Order: sequence, then C-alpha cells, then structure tokens
Amino acid sequence: MEDLILPKNKLSDYINKIKSDYTIFAPIKKDELTYYSQIENPSDISLDFINSKYPPKSILFNQTETLFKFKHGLKAEISFKEFKNSKNVIFGIRPCDAKSFFIVDKLFKDDYVDPYYSSKRENTVLIGLSCNLPGKNCFCTSMDGGPANAEDVDILFTDIGDKFYIEIKNIKGENLIKIGENLFNKPKDQDKNKLKQIKKKAEETISRKMNTTGIVDELDNIFDNRFWKDISMKCIGCGICTYGCPTCHCFDILDETSLREGARVRVWDTCMNPEYTIHASGHNPRPARMNRTRNRVYHKFNYYPKNYNVIACVGCGRCINECPVNIDIIDVITKAREVKT
Amino acid sequence: MVTIEKITEENSGERGIKTFRLRFNDKKIQNDFDFIPGQCVMVSHFGYGECFFAISSSPTKKDFLEVSVMKLGKVTSALHECEPGDVLGVRGPYGNHFDVSGWQGKNLIFIGGGIGQAPLRSLINYVVDNRDNYKDLDIVYGARSTGDLCFKSEFSDLEKRKDVNVHLSIDKEEEGWNKFVGFVPDNLLSVKPSPKNAIAVTCGPPIMIKFVIQNLLKLGFSENQIFTTLEMRMKCGIGKCGRCNIGNLYVCKDGPVFSYDQLKNLKGEM
Amino acid sequence: MVDRKKLQDEVTRVVERDDVNYVVGWEKGTYGFQMTPLFMFSSDDVNKLSFNPLCVHNLTVFPMLEEKLPLRKGAKEDTNKIGVIVKGCDSRAIVQIIQEKGIERERLVIIGIPCSGVIDPKKINKNFSDKTKVLEVTDDDKNFIIKTDSKTHKIPKDELMMDKCKTCEYPNPIIFDVLIGDEIKNSKKTDNKEIETFEKKNLEDKWKFWEDQFEKCIRCYACRNVCPLCYCKECMVDQLNPQWVRRSVNVSENTAWNIMRAFHLAGRCIDCGECERVCPADIPLRKLNKKIEKDILELFDYKPGVNVEDKPLLSMFKPDDPEEFIL
Repeated sequence: MEDLILPKNKLSDYINKIKSDYTIFAPIKKDELTYYSQIENPSDISLDFINSKYPPKSILFNQTETLFKFKHGLKAEISFKEFKNSKNVIFGIRPCDAKSFFIVDKLFKDDYVDPYYSSKRENTVLIGLSCNLPGKNCFCTSMDGGPANAEDVDILFTDIGDKFYIEIKNIKGENLIKIGENLFNKPKDQDKNKLKQIKKKAEETISRKMNTTGIVDELDNIFDNRFWKDISMKCIGCGICTYGCPTCHCFDILDETSLREGARVRVWDTCMNPEYTIHASGHNPRPARMNRTRNRVYHKFNYYPKNYNVIACVGCGRCINECPVNIDIIDVITKAREVKT
Repeated sequence: MVTIEKITEENSGERGIKTFRLRFNDKKIQNDFDFIPGQCVMVSHFGYGECFFAISSSPTKKDFLEVSVMKLGKVTSALHECEPGDVLGVRGPYGNHFDVSGWQGKNLIFIGGGIGQAPLRSLINYVVDNRDNYKDLDIVYGARSTGDLCFKSEFSDLEKRKDVNVHLSIDKEEEGWNKFVGFVPDNLLSVKPSPKNAIAVTCGPPIMIKFVIQNLLKLGFSENQIFTTLEMRMKCGIGKCGRCNIGNLYVCKDGPVFSYDQLKNLKGEM
Repeated sequence: MVDRKKLQDEVTRVVERDDVNYVVGWEKGTYGFQMTPLFMFSSDDVNKLSFNPLCVHNLTVFPMLEEKLPLRKGAKEDTNKIGVIVKGCDSRAIVQIIQEKGIERERLVIIGIPCSGVIDPKKINKNFSDKTKVLEVTDDDKNFIIKTDSKTHKIPKDELMMDKCKTCEYPNPIIFDVLIGDEIKNSKKTDNKEIETFEKKNLEDKWKFWEDQFEKCIRCYACRNVCPLCYCKECMVDQLNPQWVRRSVNVSENTAWNIMRAFHLAGRCIDCGECERVCPADIPLRKLNKKIEKDILELFDYKPGVNVEDKPLLSMFKPDDPEEFIL
C-alpha cells in the first residue's frame, strides 16, 4: 500500500476510530516520565518524549502473569485461563523496542510456544514512531537498527512537522489503516523530502557507537579473563538494567496461595539477584557479582546469538541511562575487545 | 494430574530419600506417556511449587512413573509429607536422554553416588529389561553409609543376577559391611573396567563426578565415551526462563545428559 | 574545594600500603555529568581519581557488598583492608555499621572529604541539553561552576543541590583515618516542615498519595541494593519459607515491601538519599525514612550514625525505655 499523510490534528479522530475494535496502548506522561499505558482518551497520548522509561515489553509479557489457578489438597484441580483474543494496538513504539519483540519472539516461540506471550503478540499491531531526536545514549545504528527502521513494525509514523508521514509495511498494517481511510491524504514531494531530511538528521545525531563485528568469538576468548572481575566490582546487583531492558526475558514461577486456593504466577526475575541460581543444597554456580554480570553480558552478546543468530540488544540505551553506578554496556564491550589475552 | 500410588522410603534422616510411584489420573495419558531414560519431569505440589526430577523408573514399565526425591527445600519437604492417594501435577518429559539405541552392543558401566542413582536407575532397569541388546553391565554405586544407600532391595536382586556386576561401597567403615569401603571414584579404580567398546555414565554430587571422570580418563576412556547428568535450579523446564544455562546450553532443554567432551568445551559456571 | 593533587597523593599513600587491597573513589563517567565509582589497586589507577560536586554516590556500600566465597583448602582468609573515600553523610553509614558490628573498624581505611553539597543528577540533566560536553565542575561558596566546551555557567547552589544537602548537619566526616581539605563550619539545620505538613493531611489523602507512588514501583530492589545499611545475607523478600512478601508486583505487595524496608531501617537510616536517587520510578523514599527518623528522635532522642560508641537503638533495652518490655 502506498505511503500516506495524516495531519496531526486528525490523530485523535483516527485513534477514536480504531478504539472500538482494538485496545490501544500509547505513551502517556505521568510526573514528567513517559510510560506505555492503555488509553481511553486519545488526548492522553503524549508524543513529546525520546523514549519511555520502561520498555513496552510489559504489554505482551506482563510483569505478573497468572498462569493458572488451583485448589489444593485431596481434591486438587486446576483451572486454566481462557486466552481472550482481544486485538491490541501499540501506538508510538520506537523502532528499537519493536525490534526487541522480533528478538524475544525467537525464544518464546521456539520449541514449546509460550501461549501467554504469543496469543497477545499475534493479535497486536505495532504502529511505530520514528525518532526525530535520538537520546544521548542511543546506539541502535550499531545494533542493526536505526531511528527510522521500519523492519519490525506494521506501520511507521514519522513526525514531519504538522503532519505524520505514514509508511505501511504489511497487510496487518494495511487493514488497520483502512479503518481510518478518509482521514489520510497523499504525500506531496515536499513531504517526501522532509521525511528524508529528518531520517538523515536523526541518524547523524546518534553519536555513540558499539563495534559488534565478531563479538561472539571475541567473548569466547576472554571468558576466564580477570577483566570481568574488574568491570563488575562497581555493580551493586540492583537489577534496574534487567527491568528496563526490552530484550531481558528471565522470569520466575511461583505458587501463591491463601488457604485452600491459589494461583501459579510468572513474574519477572533478574539474573543479578544472588538467589537466582541457588540450589536447594546451598551450592550456587554464580556466587559472585562477577559471575552474574559476566553471565548477563554473555547471554546478550554470546549465548543468544549462538542459539538464535541475533544479538539480544537493540541499542535503546536504557541500561546506560538508568544504571546507578554508570556501568555502560558500550564501554564494557569496547574494553572487552581491547583485552589482551 | 497424577495420584501417588505408593511411597517407598529409601532411607530416612535429614536428607531422606523417598521414591514416589505416580499414576496418571487420565488412563489415556498414562498409556501415551513415553520417554527415554535420562529424561525428566516437572512435578507440582500445588501450593508449594514445582521441581524438576529425573524419572527413576524405566519406560518399559508402562503403568506408572517413579521419581526419587531427596528432602532438601520447600517443595521437597512438602512432598515428603504426602501420603498415597494425594494428587500432584506432572508435566514432561523434558530434556534430552541417554543414547540407549546408539549404545546397543556396547559394554556399559554406570557409576552413581547417593541420590544421583535416580536417573541411572531408569537406565539400569531399561537395560536389564532389554538385556540381550547390550554386552557387559557393571554398576558401581556408593553412599556415605549403609543408611544412605538407596534402592537396597533392587540392588540385592541385581546382585543375584549373573549377567550384571554390582560393586557397592560406603564411605566409612561399618560393622557388617564386607564390601568395598571408600569413595566411589576409588571403588571405580579397583573395578578397573576396560574402555574397549564401552560407555561410562556417571551421576552424583559434583565433586564425585569430577574425580570419577578423572579416573575414567586414567583408565583410558576417551572423552566421548563418558556421559553425565547435571542439575541446576530450574523453573520453566523448557529453556525460556533463562535460569539453568551453562554457557549457551540450557540444562533443562539441551541436557541434563551431557557428554564429557561437550562439557569440557563449554564456558560457563556449573 | 579539594585539591586534586593532594587527594591523589594521600590516596596513593593508602593504596601502596601492603595491608590494603584497594581503595574506592570516583572517576569521570562515560557520558554527560556522570561520575562513577573507581577501584584503585595501584598508583596508576589513582591518576583517574577526582572529586567534585558530581560525586553523589555513597561508596560505603562497596565494602559491605564484598562476597565471602568459600575458601579453598589451605587458603587463609583475606584480612586485608579496604579503603573508602567518604563525604560527611557517607561516614555516618560507616559509624552506624560499626555500631551494629556489621564490619570491624580495622577492616577499613577511611579517607574523609568535608562536603558542602553535591549536585542532583536529575536536576542538572534538566538544565543542560544532552549534547553538553562537560569539561569541569567545581564550586565556590554560593554557586556551582560548570565549565562546558561552549561556556562557563555559574548556577546558585540551591537550584542544583540534592535536597538532602539543603538540610545537612554533618558536612564533615565523623570518622576517618585521613582528612583531605578543610573542615566546613556547619550552618544548616534539619528542617521537618515538609514532613509536618504531610503529617497534617487526613488519612485518605495520605493513603492515596502513597498508593499512587507504590503503583509505580517495579520491585527492582535498587533501593535495597544501593543502601549501605541493607546488608542482610538473605533479605526478607528473598525468603520463601515463610514468604513474607509475595513476588507478584501489585500495589498491595509493593506497599508491604517499601514500608517494611523503611521500618527495618528505623533508627539506622542516615539519610544519604541514595535510595531516592537510584529509584527508576522516582518514588519519594526519603519521605518515608525521614518520618521515621523524626519519630525516633522525638521518642528516643537518638540520631543514628553520629557516635561510634553508641549502642544501636532498636537492638538495645534500657530500663528507662518509654515502653514496657514484653515481660
């Protein structure tokens, strides 16, 4: 389908049109921070942000998810959740976060398909929003992405002034656009030029770069090096990097009960927690912060690529922005490459 | 959903071991459930949690499923309080398995220690039920004391057989014990199995595995003739929660059976 | 102001001691206005050390984070010391931990720097664009002086300073082996006005305020991990038998977590403000802790972390305590 233009003042009308069939998640501003949240009113949407505080992975992969409920005791029985196939739209997702879904799909859909995640993923349409002004720690261009990368979204909106330039990437996006047909216009040549300008400027604004050529082999060579002890001495093991990371997917499964009934829940967990791998016997394969920090870097840049052929990092920079002690993944990888064996 | 049919107390004490015989409530599932020795299941005690156990019964016994459980943490202690007739949940089978078809026609030597005998028991019973497909069978098994030895009645049956060589041991001297006294790796050296056309499988505490493998190499076994099972803290059992990985392999999905040459090259924490 | 050369010389002297493993200080971070903890093992490392108003971290958490791994057979326990550079508020954490016997005084070599206030990273990021190239940050009596590659800014301290510094009563380190710089004459006093105004609200308003705040909590436990006084080997939230706080993330559990942590710090929190600084959800944690601090002062006339000889308040019984004992 051809490119389209949507004047900014018509955005609310479009959202209202799709609201009746879809649950809409969009960025909202709360106390000066932007979060992705379900919206009822299109006027709640705030597109004045570089990137949201937490990634939108919580929409498809809830922080707390009830797997099933049970009654225990002699008459134990379990009742599974019905998968409501409600259709969702995530509006205003940045290209890096959209790429994270592509990366995490490989794990959740591999072997045993995770129904809690896939039932939502298949019914979700992603409307991306290009970054006109990337953040100070963004490095998506080094991770096979870009501020206007449209590979992983269904529709891409780019802000070109008083209107949005719309690129439609697939049939899913096309069907969603058709709902608001008469709101759109055809792009003029000056619109197309403005688009090119904005995309170019955005890419040039990204100043931080990470060299990932051959990183899998490089990391294989330095696994036992003292470098990891040095780099992880300042880690306090808080887990902010894991909760803010769009590709971190580790979780815990627990039974939570009250008297006779209960539920099995899946909650986000962080590999930075010392108890993460502790055995019942007391043995802990990753007893020190050095082991855990090294495991996290390797999981993203060595193990995941070995299993699924893609580096599990999208270059959003949230871990760099949020780390309380300024552990900088770009710095870590760059220094790792310089380690002399 | 399974019902506990029978509980056998293997040994008592603080880290007591009990074998649970489970039968699926749904007869069809019981008939369809098939696995190969080495595979594991996730057993749920609703309200307490789930644990990953190696199936310790052989797939040749179709009517039931057995797991051997050591009392150690929250879920296992709760399991030890269960009685026959209680209902649990089981999902599986997960993980990879011993290469029972590839090992036909070979001499087998199984070295176990303590509760590590559980996955080996499945393998031993399978081999005994298909005895003609395999050549020599040597079982080396040891525990801290006679009180810690598991599957005692089965071992006495095995000892009576002419086509199986059983070599038991306990760590410290005890009255009435006239077999080997010492650690399992030392017992292995005294048995001196030949590496020719042989496969060695070992399961047990990490420290025992380390020395057993050392001694197997000393005896001339090559790295791809040695297999072991590993364990880790597990939650999902299907390679998604990211917890049980050693390097890029997940113990729940790509294991728990690993060959020694696989382990040697794996960079990761065990 | 601290003379960088003098600081580096003194720290080099400590680093080169045979009985010191390493010294923790600060160095320039990887972007913007960041400073980051620096671990100095040799005099080469000390060249990167610097101290300026951006050094907001409380480094006393690092000696507490040292893992005691099981020793190999025949290996001796490491009894060497750890050096740590502290500001006034940071030193109170050490004093409190020594009171509780969480660490022995002999294990630390404390290098103290009198501090008149540090910059709040959230405030300074608002005032300057992302593209700013920072060259140097210093201060004089009234202003912070920020030198960028385009110009030098003089901004009044009140605008950029951390809130905790505005009411700081202990600018000079209370405990130290070496003091770098001149002692600062203290002119500030604790101000309870904000807490008192909040106390006067009615119960519904107070509850609604905290419900909104705890809704944002993602249970990352950064507040616990960065706090030098949260050093329990197994935190109550990690315990499964019994499970005090469920792992599910919802308002009810989040409230339980935050309030329980505040109570576990009663009579121990020295208001370094790190918990509030690191919280990714911007929850005003200092409000909770300051309220308890105020109550402790009124009820027991006790201030945590000021006197090494004091006994820790809530682990001690005096015959004239206001409450009756359980007997």
